[in-house]
Amino acid sequence: MPGSDDTAPRADLDGARLIASPALRLAALMLLIYTALIALFGPIPATQATLNGLVSGTYLGLGAIGLTLVFGILHLVNFAQGDLLMAGAYATILTAGIGVPPPLAALAGVVATALLALVTEKLVWRPLRRSGAGTLQVFLTAIGLAMVIRFSVQFVAGSQVRSLGADVVSTVGLGGLRLGLMQVLALVIGLVVMAGVGLMLRLTRLGKSMRAFSDNAALAEVSGIDTGRIVDLTWLVSGSLAGVAGILYAAAIGTINPNFGVTLLLSLFAAAVLGGIGNAYGALAGGLVIGLAQDWSTLFVNARWKPAVGFAILIVTLLFMPQGIFGQARRRS
Amino acid sequence: MPRLHARYAVPLMVSAVALLAGMAPAISAPLDLKLGALLESTGPLSELGPPAEKAIKLSAEAATKAAAAAGVPATVSMVAADSQGDPQAALSAARTLVDRGAACIIGPATTPESIAVLNGLTMQKKVTLWPTATSTRLRTVKDDGTIFRTVPPDDLQAKALVLAMDKYIGKGKSVSIAYRNEPYGDALSKSFVQAWTADGGKILADVSFDPQQATFDSEADQVMADKPDAVVVIDYPETFAKIGAALVRTGTFDAKKLFLTDAMSFAKVPDSIPAQAIDGAHGVAAGAPTNSAPYKDFNALWDKAGGVANTSLTSNMFDAGILCFLASVEAGSTDPGAIRDKIRTVTTDGAPQFSLDNLADAVKLAASAKPLDYVGASGKLSFAPNGDSTSSIYDVFQYQGGKQVTVDQVDVH
Repeated sequence: MPGSDDTAPRADLDGARLIASPALRLAALMLLIYTALIALFGPIPATQATLNGLVSGTYLGLGAIGLTLVFGILHLVNFAQGDLLMAGAYATILTAGIGVPPPLAALAGVVATALLALVTEKLVWRPLRRSGAGTLQVFLTAIGLAMVIRFSVQFVAGSQVRSLGADVVSTVGLGGLRLGLMQVLALVIGLVVMAGVGLMLRLTRLGKSMRAFSDNAALAEVSGIDTGRIVDLTWLVSGSLAGVAGILYAAAIGTINPNFGVTLLLSLFAAAVLGGIGNAYGALAGGLVIGLAQDWSTLFVNARWKPAVGFAILIVTLLFMPQGIFGQARRRS
Repeated sequence: MPRLHARYAVPLMVSAVALLAGMAPAISAPLDLKLGALLESTGPLSELGPPAEKAIKLSAEAATKAAAAAGVPATVSMVAADSQGDPQAALSAARTLVDRGAACIIGPATTPESIAVLNGLTMQKKVTLWPTATSTRLRTVKDDGTIFRTVPPDDLQAKALVLAMDKYIGKGKSVSIAYRNEPYGDALSKSFVQAWTADGGKILADVSFDPQQATFDSEADQVMADKPDAVVVIDYPETFAKIGAALVRTGTFDAKKLFLTDAMSFAKVPDSIPAQAIDGAHGVAAGAPTNSAPYKDFNALWDKAGGVANTSLTSNMFDAGILCFLASVEAGSTDPGAIRDKIRTVTTDGAPQFSLDNLADAVKLAASAKPLDYVGASGKLSFAPNGDSTSSIYDVFQYQGGKQVTVDQVDVH
C-alpha cells in the first residue's frame, strides 16, 4: 500500500549515481525496438510513431515527476496532480483572456499552479500531517481535493470546451517526418525542464536537501535541514511542473475541458509507478516508455488498443520488477 | 415488490385514461404542460445545446399560442437542464427536470446518456423520452414504450452517407474511416462499412480511437497511411478539434475529401476546429423536407425569433415538443404516462391531417379526444412499434468558409 510508512518503497531521489546501468539498459532496449520497427515498417513510419510517442511521453513524464516528487518527499499519493495540470491550463487561458500575451500568460499559469500546490500544502496537508491522519484519511482527502479543484475551475470557467488558441495545424517537416509546431515546442520545453529538474536534484543544495529528506526525514532535520522549507519547495516544484505539463498539453492538443486532468491522472500514475514511484528519473523514463509503447503499438494494432497497451506494459513490467524500472536498481545496490 | 406494482400499474393507468377519455370533454382543468429540455449545453457536444434549446422553446410558444386560438385552457412552457454529454450528469439533469414538473423529456443527444436516463428514471416514471441520439442500439433497448425518436436511426444515416459519397467522390472509391470508440461511432461505422462495401467501395483503414487520448497523431497517420480517396470521421466537435488538427498535420489530408456525420452538424464551425480540418468537408444529418409548407412555417418562426441560426435536427425537436403537447391535450392530462399512451393517437395514419399553420384546429380535435395525424416540420411523423421514426430524409451539407450550407437532400429506405 503506497503511502504507509513502513512498507512503502523507499524513496529514491538520490538515484542519480545509481541510474547509470538501468538507464543505459532501458535506452538500449528502446533503441533495439526502434531498430526492429525500422526493419519491419521502414524508417519513416517507425520514426514518425517514435516522435508521436515522445510527445505524449513528455506530457506524461512532466506530470508524473511532480507526482513522484511529492510521493518521495511526503509519502503522499497526490490524486490532485491531474487537476493541477488542468488548473495550470485554465489559469493560462483565463490570463490570456484578459489580454496578456500568450508566453506571459503561460508563465502566469505556471506560477499560479505552483502557488495553488503550495496553498493545498498550507491549508490541507500540513494540518493533516500534524493531526496524524492515517493512510486512508490522506487518500480520501487527496481525492476530495482533486474534486474541489476540478469543480472550482468548472465553476469559474464553465465546463464548455476551451482552447488556448495556439496554432495546432502548422508542422515542422524533415524528410517524410512531420510534427506539429506546438508539439515540437512541447517536446523541447518538456525535455529541457525534465533535464533541469534532474540536474537540480543532483547538483543544487536544494536538491541534495530534498533527497536527504526523502531518505530519512528525521536525520535530515537533526543535520540542520529546514524541513518545512523543503516541503514547501517540493510543492512549488511539483506544482510548477504540473503547470508546465498542463499548458504544453493544452497548447499542443488544441481543446480542453475541466475533465482532462482526471482523465490523464491514471496515465500519470502509470508513468510514475512504472519508473519506480518516488524516483524522479523513473517518472521521466516511465512517461517516455508508456508514450512510446502506446504509439508504437499503433503500427501493429488498431489505435483503439493504445490505452490497453500502455497499462499492459505497466503490469508486465511490475510482474518482473515490482519496484518499477528504477526502483529495483536501488534495491540491488 | 416494485415488480408487482409495475405489472398492475400499466393496465390500471391505461384503463383510467380510457375512462377519462370516454367521459367526453377531455379538458376539465387547465393544463399546465412543461416540456423538459435535456440539453447539451456544455461538454463535448456543446455546439448542439443552443439550437436545441431554441427549438424546444419555440414549440412551447407555438403550442401555447395554438391552445389560446383554439380556446383550450392550456399553457406550455419549457424547463431546461444540462446533460453535459455525460450519462451520470444526464440522469441527474433529467431528475431535475422531472422534479420541476417536466411531462416529456426532449433530448439528450447521445446514446449512453439516453440509456442512463431511460433506465434510471424515465422508463419507471413513464416519461416519454425524445432523444436526438441516432444509434440503432436504442431500437432494441427495453423502454416500456417510452422512447420516441423523431430522428431516423443510424443504419439509414449510413446509407445516406454512402449516397452522398457516391455523388461527391464517386462510386467504388477507397475510403479510410476513423470513429470514436463508443456506441455511436461503433455502430454507425459498422453500418457504413457494410453499406459502402455493398455499394462496391473499398475500405482501407478502419481506425477507432479512445476520445480521451493524449495525442491523436498515430491515429491520423493510420487513417492517411494508404492514401485514401476519401476519409470518413464519426466524431463529436470537441474531439474532432483534436483529431482534425492531427489529420492536417499529416500533410496529406484534404478536407474536401472529408465526410462527417450528424453529430458534426452545426450552423457555424466552432473556433476550436481549425479551418484546414473542415472547410470543404461534406456531411449528412437528418433533414427536413425544406420545401414543404410545415418546414417553411417552422423556419419562419425560427428566423422571427432571432438568436442562433437554424441547423440540423431543430425541426425534429420542435415536432417532439408539439407531439407531446397534442398528446397531453388528447389525454386531458399532463400525467407523463397518459401522454405516452396518446402519442400514437396524434400520429394516426388516415386520421385528419394538421400541421403548424392549423395547429389550433388540431388542438380543438385533440381536446375532443379524437385521433389526428400531425404532420411535422421534419416531415410526416409515424413511429414504428419500437418508437423509431420511419421518416428518412437526410440533408447533405458542406462547410464553406466556416458556415454550413445544405447542398443536397437524399431519401433513403
